Amino acid sequence: MIQHLLHINHVSKHFGGNVAVSDISFSVDEKQIFGLIGPNGAGKTTLFNCISGFYPVTSGDIIFDNKTINNLRPDEVCHLGMARTWQRVKPLGSLTVLENVMIGAFSITNTTREAEEIAMEQLQLVGLTDFSKKSAGSLSIGLKKKLELARVLATHPKMLLLDEICGGLNHTETDTILAIIRDVRNKGATIVFIEHDMKAVTAVCDWIVVLNSGEKLAEGTPEVITRNPDVIAAYLGGGHNA
Amino acid sequence: MKQIILIAVIAGIAALLPLVIGDSPYFIGVLISVLMMAALSSAWNILGGYAGQYSFGHAAYFGSGAYTTMILISKFNFNPLVSMVAGIIVACIIALITGSIVFRLRGHYFGLASIAVAEIVRLSALNFDFTGGAQGILLTDVTLWGLDLNSKIPFYYGMLLVLVLTLGITLYLRTSKTGFYLQAIREDQDAAASLGINLSFYKNKALLISAALTSVLGSLYAVYIRFIDTSAVLDLRLSIEIILTAIIGGVGTLWGPVLGAVLLVPLAEILRSNVIGDALVKHGVVSETSGLGVFLKENLAHAHVLVYGIITVVCILYLPKGILGFFRRVK
Repeated sequence: MIQHLLHINHVSKHFGGNVAVSDISFSVDEKQIFGLIGPNGAGKTTLFNCISGFYPVTSGDIIFDNKTINNLRPDEVCHLGMARTWQRVKPLGSLTVLENVMIGAFSITNTTREAEEIAMEQLQLVGLTDFSKKSAGSLSIGLKKKLELARVLATHPKMLLLDEICGGLNHTETDTILAIIRDVRNKGATIVFIEHDMKAVTAVCDWIVVLNSGEKLAEGTPEVITRNPDVIAAYLGGGHNA
Repeated sequence: MKQIILIAVIAGIAALLPLVIGDSPYFIGVLISVLMMAALSSAWNILGGYAGQYSFGHAAYFGSGAYTTMILISKFNFNPLVSMVAGIIVACIIALITGSIVFRLRGHYFGLASIAVAEIVRLSALNFDFTGGAQGILLTDVTLWGLDLNSKIPFYYGMLLVLVLTLGITLYLRTSKTGFYLQAIREDQDAAASLGINLSFYKNKALLISAALTSVLGSLYAVYIRFIDTSAVLDLRLSIEIILTAIIGGVGTLWGPVLGAVLLVPLAEILRSNVIGDALVKHGVVSETSGLGVFLKENLAHAHVLVYGIITVVCILYLPKGILGFFRRVK
């Protein structure tokens, strides 16, 4: 039986009079690769910040693994098994690549030795083993994105929230990351990812929700979404005749 | 492992030092100041250097230790060690109140609040009767285990012991989960929180460790000098000196604060005792009655704070990671 791992129930987020996210509902199933897409300012990252505990929601409920997580702090959300990456990468610059990933691993272990073992596994998975002793701040953007991925994987999450993990990468790098994402899913994790690049989204996603101006515009499989005239209009501008 | 050996070797050398230089009270006094500033700065470094939370009010914890100890010994005849433990408790209570309120906020709020709390503590000590007010507290007699507390030697080893303890704790933290978490908080609080780090818990933990060690040094200092008042143990100047020592030596490194103290405390002592000015006059380089001679004699002796300031500016401009950080980069 397929279970809903994450349930977004009529969630709204206002900043003063500004409505960033308005009455959004959807569910993410276990082991799904779930795409959250939409043009700039659609509210994708705001929604991520609400789910991961960085913003309190204005109204509605977020239910993860049968627990309401609206009022939890980010670290508590992480301990429930949900980990996120950042659109603007946040490497811990003066620490080494290995130490960065170890900090993720410390959420599931208390000993330095075990944290190092877990971290080395994740570095191998994303192909950063050779860079383990380098300072995280010195990496290129592509490698920093891989580091973000390794760091959240080290928390052994049930669900990963990836915010534009392919943004700013070239084709080869994107393909590598997408392959890692598929691999992680096959090992049992659920993935929600925000992406700009439609090609990347349609290549890996099982299900897509499209946001526009804070509202849910459409949802469905990649094939349905790419043929939806509203979605095409939102992406290419109104009046465009597909 | 390498660092443990280094701590042991340096502590060993420091332990033998009094035997080598004899019992000149003056030199032992300067060395005690070096050890104390090294330990104070290292304790500050746990919070400021590793967790990145700059406290500008560590004098509050130093003063808590000093005042608690002095009051308990002079008025209630407590054992000095018991008074020291009481001092730790007082310092931790002040730290917990400050931390639990202010650490919810990001940015410079903790720095600002730490100054405010330190000033509240200072003004309270200045105005209450039981703290002796502006007169301070004088300790006429104190005994512990039959040690000769009129000699400076027991305090030399006491300071050395606390310094080794502080360095040991720093070293342990650096290689443990807590140390990694503190550094993650220093680098990026959002990233740290998203990786499961309870920000206020770990910041408070670092503050408590730092405050407790600082308080122990305050107790030791008070019994050593046997007289305290607010300008000696609760002054903002002391808080600043602690920070500058760490910054100039190298913030967030194990040995930076120690190096800073080894360089700065003797330097301040040289300026204060006017060794340079006297030597120049004595060797006839400058005449005692000339303008420069008068300046050296009258003014330079009071200029150690100015020299600190200049060194700090130079360090921030050219050695932003401190002297130790600079040498690391060169290597």
